[in-house]
Amino acid sequence: MKKLEEILRTWEPVIGLEIHAELTTLNTKMFCGCKLEFGAPPNTHTCPVCLGLPGALPVPNRAAIESIVLAGLATNCDIEKHSMFYRKNYMYPDMAKNFQTTQGPIAFCMRGHLDLDVDGANASERYGLADLKPGESTGNITRTEDGYVAHVGITRIHMEEDAGKMVHIGGGEGRIAGATHSLVDYNRAGTPLIELVTEPDLRTPEEARLFMQKLRQIYLALGISDCSMEEGSLRCDGNVSLRRRGTTELGTKTELKNMNSFKNLHDGLLYEICRQAQVLEEGGTIYQETRHWDPTAKRTIVMRVKESADDYRLFPEPDLAPYDLSDEFIESVRAKLPELPDDKAARFQEQFGLSAYDARHLVEHRSTAQFFEACMSDATHEAGDAAIKLAKPLANLAINDVAAWLNANPDVVLDESPLTPNRAVQLVQLVADGTISSKQGKEVFAAVLADDADPKAIVEDRGMQQVSDTGAIEAVVDAVLAENPDKVEQYQGGKIGLIGFFVGQCMKRMQGKGNPQIINELLASKLDA
Amino acid sequence: MTQHLTESDVRGIAEYVRIGMTEDEVAQMTVDLNAIIDSLAPITEYDLEGVEPTFHPIGALTNVMCEDLERGSFTQEVALLNAPKQQDGCFLIPSVLGDGGDR
Amino acid sequence: MAAVGKPFGAMSIAEIQAGLAAKEFTAAEVASATISRIERDDAQMHAFLELTADMAADAAAKVDAAIAAGTFAEAGPLAGVPVGFKDNMNLLDTHTTCSSNMLANYVSPYTATCVEYALHAGALPMGKLNMDEFAFGSSTETSAFGPTLNPWDFQRVPGGSSGGSAAAVAAGLVPVALGSDTGGSIRQPASFCGIVGVKPTYGVVSRYGVVAFGSSLDQVGPFARSVEDAALALNAISGFDERDCTSQRADVDFTANLAEGVQGMRIGVVPAFMEADGLTEEVRARVAEAAQKLEGLGATLVDIELPNAKAAMSAYYVLGPCEAFSNLARFDSVRYGYCDPGHADLGAQYEASRAKGFGPEARRRIMLGSYLLSAGVYDTYYYPAQQVRTLITQDYDRAFQQVDCILTPVSPRTAFKFGEIGDPTQMYLSDMFTISINIAGNGGMSVPVGLGADTQLPVGVQLISPAFKDVNMFRAAAALESVYGPAPVAPQFAKED
Repeated sequence: MKKLEEILRTWEPVIGLEIHAELTTLNTKMFCGCKLEFGAPPNTHTCPVCLGLPGALPVPNRAAIESIVLAGLATNCDIEKHSMFYRKNYMYPDMAKNFQTTQGPIAFCMRGHLDLDVDGANASERYGLADLKPGESTGNITRTEDGYVAHVGITRIHMEEDAGKMVHIGGGEGRIAGATHSLVDYNRAGTPLIELVTEPDLRTPEEARLFMQKLRQIYLALGISDCSMEEGSLRCDGNVSLRRRGTTELGTKTELKNMNSFKNLHDGLLYEICRQAQVLEEGGTIYQETRHWDPTAKRTIVMRVKESADDYRLFPEPDLAPYDLSDEFIESVRAKLPELPDDKAARFQEQFGLSAYDARHLVEHRSTAQFFEACMSDATHEAGDAAIKLAKPLANLAINDVAAWLNANPDVVLDESPLTPNRAVQLVQLVADGTISSKQGKEVFAAVLADDADPKAIVEDRGMQQVSDTGAIEAVVDAVLAENPDKVEQYQGGKIGLIGFFVGQCMKRMQGKGNPQIINELLASKLDA
Repeated sequence: MTQHLTESDVRGIAEYVRIGMTEDEVAQMTVDLNAIIDSLAPITEYDLEGVEPTFHPIGALTNVMCEDLERGSFTQEVALLNAPKQQDGCFLIPSVLGDGGDR
Repeated sequence: MAAVGKPFGAMSIAEIQAGLAAKEFTAAEVASATISRIERDDAQMHAFLELTADMAADAAAKVDAAIAAGTFAEAGPLAGVPVGFKDNMNLLDTHTTCSSNMLANYVSPYTATCVEYALHAGALPMGKLNMDEFAFGSSTETSAFGPTLNPWDFQRVPGGSSGGSAAAVAAGLVPVALGSDTGGSIRQPASFCGIVGVKPTYGVVSRYGVVAFGSSLDQVGPFARSVEDAALALNAISGFDERDCTSQRADVDFTANLAEGVQGMRIGVVPAFMEADGLTEEVRARVAEAAQKLEGLGATLVDIELPNAKAAMSAYYVLGPCEAFSNLARFDSVRYGYCDPGHADLGAQYEASRAKGFGPEARRRIMLGSYLLSAGVYDTYYYPAQQVRTLITQDYDRAFQQVDCILTPVSPRTAFKFGEIGDPTQMYLSDMFTISINIAGNGGMSVPVGLGADTQLPVGVQLISPAFKDVNMFRAAAALESVYGPAPVAPQFAKED
């Protein structure tokens, strides 16, 4: 198949996402008082309501309604005061009532948007970006210095309930194909679920990935979901179609499922764009179908062909009272809005003088952003206004070293780890004042985690302090120059590459602790004199 | 009597509601449903321009919700009390064909 | 057996409680004697599907303990009173079959709120009562376990869908039974069996645990042989329930104005109803006579119009099946209910289980509801039906600006013979006077006013209240009862032991 870059010259991909998030941080289910808990023994968190027993009636969880309003406010949605629940009727064994309680044409949250910062190499996937100057806009994007900002519309966020879980047995590896039986567990049935639907405003797999990532940051900041793509509490389906550049009519779309990681979302969409381009270029037809991304085989497979629109016999749920949300209610929810990632990044730029890039990446993870703030608070306590100088190195530490360490050790809880904010500040300070080199800084970082010790103590114990005393270094420099008159002559004759030899000799005599910068300066002044 | 539904339509509905029917039953159901739908005609003859629907006959009652507090669950044994078939604490069913629609 | 000649089931609540208080008999005796009597006298009539002798004995023991402890007064308004429950009401550890093969083996793992409230009020649970399958019917003939016979005439139906409840009370097997009413399912059988049957305002009694037919139409209510007993029973089972979102906070004492009389009350009469096609002369005459009696007691009769009532029937046969289709989707052979054996794929198991588990009327309504909600059809029937609901509600609102209560027939005729009405659309006409009340949601009750001149079978009149002013109809009903007397036990059951 052709490469994406080549395809994008002829075709414009049109991508929309449907993102489901389980409100895992609540205590109970959407319509009953059963506990929300992942991994409990099967069917132990069930009751008449979530088992769909005859006669049972639903009662909505107030906290779930507050959560979805929170999500709507955080994604710039209009909060609809008047809405209702509906029944979406279809028979499937993981749905105890054989209808899903969801919302109708009017959802709690309508007409929102998120702005995505796309930078780096991936920004070049956006067709026509090169024609724009920074600050210029076309369509839903605005060029920036290092990429562009994409304005992505959100159609709606509606409230619904999750289904139970099925395990297929008798076939291979729990797969539905070849299974003879299924086991149904309704513990998950009735878990509060919010579904966000985007406008078809996304144009590249990278934009889709960034949207999902940004939404996840927001939901995590709101504390409404644990957003675990692995456990399925955050799930994403993608609708993809292609149209020839310059045309406006939408092509036939396929719906992509099973993109249960950021990488799978990106790779699945990328594959599907390439597949559709190939089919269309060979004169074939795209069918409206649901396709499953197989990350192992690296391709999408047809799950179901839709011959016509599904008819779910949607009608207002008579067992649930309609909603008439008051301004008071909405404002009480708004008052619970925490600082959102975008606002936090703007504050970090303003308050600590960070670059936009650093600030944006710092807020990608709630834990690193929190850690950075704790460090700055500690540094300010120690050094007052001078702490601002440590902002950049502390941000780098958080974005690079801390994030990499957390990625490699997903079980680590930063708050409970040996790396306290105070230790991070010590470490950065030791590098900043030249006590240790930045290379030694990496060694000390590893040692703090391994030994649960203060950076100062580690540097002391290991005798890692750089010698920055000019007098002491000058003596060594003089000695080295005196011992190598032939090399001095060669250097002065133009073989300036020998500087490395002199530095190495000095370092050797000082057992690696000499401040390289001072050594270099002294050598230069003496040799060039 | 108006033919609102053909036998083929009735077969389609039976498939959707998952009720197996013989050809004779389909024929009888077609007759019955057409007669009933005929009797619903008054609904289609009303001038309802501008009339708001009443989906819930509950007056001004709105925003009925409960607090996010655990209110107890069944034990696994009780949950499975009426299960036609069970295995490993789950409801056991024959293999499922097709997916669960759009979710 | 106690000194009193009457069986307990033929007594009023006051008679039972007076006897208990005076220690003429114990609650344990009430329970065991009532069970014995049902076993003996219900064998042919078939009102009960299941008896709960052990539960009745346990409940009786608590009442007897209260009497012994001198706390009988706090034992509840139904203390020591035998009560039967329609078989769509969940009662822990009993079968709740809805008279369907689908649920023949279903055992309730929980209890409906209305049942719980009755038990909390000291009722002695006697058992579960026969009904039309899933409440789809007006004759109890669609019960998968065989029909209930009308205690006045075994050749005739008791009405339905709550036919078992009505028959049990009319036969004097129990003083009180609970039923549910979606389009007339309490009022019509009460009329056919000559007793009092109340469908309170939607939201007065919790629907939690009552197997749903039409969720926006269903309402639970009591059957009794006197207006006072019906009011006492409704007092016991009503009240807010946080498990039902449509339950309302309306704490009312339904006995409050039973003794007030109708002096000064304005009672509406609907001339169009009195001239309706299909209304038999004997019923018309009894209803007209009841109106005159009320006038004689000091009420003012006012002719009123309910112009949109003529659309109620079609609105009902849209809304009911649509909601039923969705409510009955859960019966799928996976978690409970009939499971046809031997299928290798779930689709085949679904189709066979639902084909065999549901009777013809249930299948018809499921199919009809599914059609009416389908794309394109929804806007032709379902949506307009909900608009018609608005018009019907407005009709009642206007009428109740003029009157306190409305008097109409309950059923166009007295009890018909088994098999007499075969065509489903003809059967649906049984509910022509009752269904508009379910659509609007206000209260309605059936009160016996003697026998029809031609058939010598009971005739009931319907009293209709504004929403949440159910006390109005109770007041008028008590006045009628002062003229006609409380409902008699059906003659062939009235012989004393």
